[in-house]
Amino acid sequence: MRKLASLVAISAMLAVTLSACGSDNNDSSGNTSAGNSDAKANTSTNTSTNTSNSSSGNNAAADNKADSGSNAAAADPGEVVTIRTSITEGELSKDQIAEFEAAHPNIKVEIDNVDATKLAAELATGDAPDIIRISGAFEVSNYVIKGLALDLTPYIDSSTVINKDDLVPIADVFRFDGKTIGQGPIYGLPKDWSNDFALFYNKKVFDAAGVEVPDASKPLTWPEVMDLAKKLTKKEGGKVTQYGLAATEWGLTEPNFNQMLQYLLSSGASISSADNATMDFNQPAVKDYINMWTDAVKSNVGPNSVNNDQTNGGTLFLDDKAGLLIDGYWYSGVIRGNEKAKAHLDDFGMLPTPIAPGGTRVAPTGGATGGIIYSGSKHPKEAWTFFEWFFGGKPADDRAKTGWGLPIFKSKMGLLPQETNFDKQTYGVLQDELNYSSQYLQVNPYLGGGGWAIFSKYVTPIFFGKSTVDDAVAGMTKDANVAVTEAKSAIGQ
Amino acid sequence: MKEKNRRIVAFYLMISPWFLVFLVFGLFPMLYGLYLSFTNYYGFNMNKLKWVGLHQYKTLLTDSDAVHAMGRTLYLTALNVPLSTIIGLGLALLLNRRIRGAGIYRTVFYLPSIVPVVSSVLMWKFMFSSSNGILNSILEFLHIPAVNWMGYDYARLSLLIMLLWGAGGGVLVNLAGLKGIPRDLYEAAAIDGAAPFQSLRRITLPLMTPIIFFNVVLGIIGSLQIYLQPIMLTPGGRLMDRPIDPNYLYVVHAFQQIFSFQRFAYGMALLWVMFIVILVLALLVFRTSKYWVYYETEQEG
Repeated sequence: MRKLASLVAISAMLAVTLSACGSDNNDSSGNTSAGNSDAKANTSTNTSTNTSNSSSGNNAAADNKADSGSNAAAADPGEVVTIRTSITEGELSKDQIAEFEAAHPNIKVEIDNVDATKLAAELATGDAPDIIRISGAFEVSNYVIKGLALDLTPYIDSSTVINKDDLVPIADVFRFDGKTIGQGPIYGLPKDWSNDFALFYNKKVFDAAGVEVPDASKPLTWPEVMDLAKKLTKKEGGKVTQYGLAATEWGLTEPNFNQMLQYLLSSGASISSADNATMDFNQPAVKDYINMWTDAVKSNVGPNSVNNDQTNGGTLFLDDKAGLLIDGYWYSGVIRGNEKAKAHLDDFGMLPTPIAPGGTRVAPTGGATGGIIYSGSKHPKEAWTFFEWFFGGKPADDRAKTGWGLPIFKSKMGLLPQETNFDKQTYGVLQDELNYSSQYLQVNPYLGGGGWAIFSKYVTPIFFGKSTVDDAVAGMTKDANVAVTEAKSAIGQ
Repeated sequence: MKEKNRRIVAFYLMISPWFLVFLVFGLFPMLYGLYLSFTNYYGFNMNKLKWVGLHQYKTLLTDSDAVHAMGRTLYLTALNVPLSTIIGLGLALLLNRRIRGAGIYRTVFYLPSIVPVVSSVLMWKFMFSSSNGILNSILEFLHIPAVNWMGYDYARLSLLIMLLWGAGGGVLVNLAGLKGIPRDLYEAAAIDGAAPFQSLRRITLPLMTPIIFFNVVLGIIGSLQIYLQPIMLTPGGRLMDRPIDPNYLYVVHAFQQIFSFQRFAYGMALLWVMFIVILVLALLVFRTSKYWVYYETEQEG
């Protein structure tokens, strides 16, 4: 009997340990999903730091005009309601909130710091923030199929602040009709966006390798980028002295799911069936993409898991040790703000988003972080008032002026920095890119953020010679279909 | 009320602060997790959960990762627990000697246990790096070819080295155990002409078995639950980055399933299977304890 009691006590102890482990998971998840499902998480953070500085400017006139329009819509002007948003403190400063609240005495704004688990719990209990911050390129369709996003079309149609005709096409990344991204009701708007798969160059590295900077008026193909990267990579005595390419500012020079979607968009291939119910990675374009990158990894064009160089891409690029960096316009803000890069700003510039061989030119966004209004919001009208102000009012102007991302309004494009030669170069290339930014990455709404994990699971072994491309695409197809089927069943489809 | 019942009531009253907290924050969430593992919970469909019976547990068997990850985790545990136990005990024996500056050494060896996991892993990442990494510089200096510490062939070894670096954490408990061994035993042994090694084998080790036993049980539980270290060691180092296969451990898999794919129910099933494995292993160790663990006082349990 005593033995049994002690067993029970032991298992209880283990139970506590195990559940403690569970909560560990929870704590850390916030960084996680921000970092993963949206490769451009850094974008938004960076963007935010700057936005807050410039927020307390004037321009109140335009702001007030906006308010009077939306105030009329509010139900009971006497009652003060509190709306919550998961837009982060860096993106929405205390000053901005105070300014908004002063103009709207009936609305209090509260920032709800959520991570993936907290948000999941809040969604589960119907207590999510009124305005939820999400990635436009990767999360909108997923929220829509779950019925979590409020249809904002009628609000935008009658808005005096947000003029639908003034929106750039990329804003439609928040539209989804159940099948195709970019079509159907408007569920939200991006805070800002970038042509996230463009290239930045550092001419110092080009000069050191005796290579000409390519013509910025037409896009390279991705294989041409890799060839260029090989030419830029220099070794001395077995040690790499400079790399050709950095795939991301935060990580290794290896392919990732998000960048593959851009390649597929350019080559016209799709891994999802038209209704998104099944996925198939076994396609020439997918294999070409993986093969191209396997070769690039073998050629050590950047730090990767085989050469085990742990330096991140952004550091290399800014330190004149990597010639090219795959990133969108927002990165020009980083270059402008970096002490080392600032000293030779003219050496930097942007190149158009590369295309697949024989593919069409596309310059889609890979981030476009923005907001939706939660379908369960108890104060949709007040939430809209804030939404309209934050995404279309003065904060939008402030964001544009910093150059840490692109505005969603054609009329605000002129606010972007255009003073230095570097500003002019990036702005010029950007004008061209804007003509090709009206297509969207074909994200499967049922896969959610899972594509990233599946892709890296099967691709990394190839670099180490532990797997083949054929096995990889077969494995990806299997895993992705399991995830899609399960998600569909949970949604009740 | 009978004396016996009164005692029982008193007992539960006295432990009630802990017991209530345990019920609300320990047992209930656990059982709720168990319940969710039998549903199709996907992170947002709490209002229309469907009971799917053992579906998630069946999925586990066909999952291309789960079984392998469990195998890897058990393998790592089989290496980590004995090694860290031996190292912990060995260090304690050395530190228990009366030498100048013993306190400093004790602090130094315990230090890794105080450093937050995140910063210690980051430090190791730079040690393992091939560009200016310390380990490879040492190898180079010794004219041994450099290796990719984070590649397929060495990633597990690297993880193990990093885990063993923290083995000094057991030193504190071990030292306490060593201090608890009466000196007269050693004196008596010395008078009988016992060599130091004999005293170690005949006195120290038998009397340390309860401590070793404790370390082994906690070591098994801890090793099976490792998840942060492999993730952090992964280049990129963001929490959803997938560690290289040899370091793709079981809890990492559960973590990925829940947060990359929102497969909350499946993740719960994975964790419950882990719980059962831990329970079974712990029971096995407990069963064997009567053959090798020596208690000075009579144990009733």
